[in-house]
Amino acid sequence: MEFKDYYQALGVPRKAPVEEIKKAYRKLARKYHPDVSKEKDAETRMKEVNEAYAVLSDPEKRAAYDQVGKGYQPGQDFRPPPDWDSGFEFSGRGMSGAEASDFSDFFSELFGRMGAGRRAAHARGGDHLARVSLDITDAFTGSTRQVSLRAPKMDANGRVTLDTRTLNVKIPKGIREGQIIRLAGQGDPGLGEGKPGDLLLEVHFSEHPRYRVGGRDLLVTLPVAPWEAALGAVVPVELPDGTLKIRIPAGAQSGRQLRVRGRGIPANPPGDLLLEIRVVLPDASSPKARELYETMARDLAFDPRADSEV
Amino acid sequence: MSDKDTVGGSIMEDAALTVEQFCTVIAVEQEWLVRHVEEGLFTVSGTSVTEWRFSSADLRRAERMRMLERNFDAAPELAALFADLQEEMDELRARLRRAGLG
Repeated sequence: MEFKDYYQALGVPRKAPVEEIKKAYRKLARKYHPDVSKEKDAETRMKEVNEAYAVLSDPEKRAAYDQVGKGYQPGQDFRPPPDWDSGFEFSGRGMSGAEASDFSDFFSELFGRMGAGRRAAHARGGDHLARVSLDITDAFTGSTRQVSLRAPKMDANGRVTLDTRTLNVKIPKGIREGQIIRLAGQGDPGLGEGKPGDLLLEVHFSEHPRYRVGGRDLLVTLPVAPWEAALGAVVPVELPDGTLKIRIPAGAQSGRQLRVRGRGIPANPPGDLLLEIRVVLPDASSPKARELYETMARDLAFDPRADSEV
Repeated sequence: MSDKDTVGGSIMEDAALTVEQFCTVIAVEQEWLVRHVEEGLFTVSGTSVTEWRFSSADLRRAERMRMLERNFDAAPELAALFADLQEEMDELRARLRRAGLG
């Protein structure tokens, strides 16, 4: 495990007072906040900065870190001596599993005891939240996905370590962005005769090249030929759960949205399918195509800017 | 991993997290949540604490607000305003994505 220099991460000297640490953190948080930063490694840097601040802003953790880290250089292989933390009481601030899973193994090894020892002899295990990224198509067909979770786990000595476990999870058909799948008994183990907690999986959809979702609705761009848009047509549309034949009304313009009720995410009630028409022009590179365009230009007397004149 | 290791779950309602579940999964004190709800910084349905239910969007909001209060010493009202703005930004970004512009 690599030693992490939290002082270096915040750019402060080892003897920096709390106010200086706070100031440095706030400056870096503005620089690397993923919502606004233009830096390409902003998310990674923000996690490092958050981790460093979680330690250096807490007097107990900082004192322990200073003691155990004496003489170590950044990146150097690190092994904490056994019972190095006796004499320290990490009463510190609470930290969620989702937050702790963002932090490094180094942090987990050092501060693993936090949060332990406050539960009754037969307490139910805590519920645990994890955020998972799924494919939009999973919502239409249901699926089984392998989900890797990094979660704090308490060992026999009461030390909490970051444990990676892999679960095959059945994704129910009809799941929507932001919904939570509850896996009973898959959370933290109970103490004594206490039952285990639940694992709550918060679902998010990863970007898909063709499909977008808005709540229960599925949004798809539908490319059509000019004659299909002008004359009307029935065209096939590939959806996550099969092919659907769509009637394009005559005179459909690019940008117009067609709504097919009940063909969005198959939730209860189901969402709608929204098809945005995009008229795609054939290129005029062949003599025949060119001739056809010239005929239209001559015979149709069409002015696409007639409505935009002032 | 064999099929017998596959676990099935149930979809929770949009706002189904109890106060206890909410506080456990994001490690906030119940007192913190109650105070923020009573000050109108979270919108909940139900009249008593035991009836309150929360969604995943509320979890995200609480995490943001707590980070600002903890790391920036922000007043709860300021943290709530910042969370409002971030939610607005999330919504606008989602609209851009839906329009194929994100």
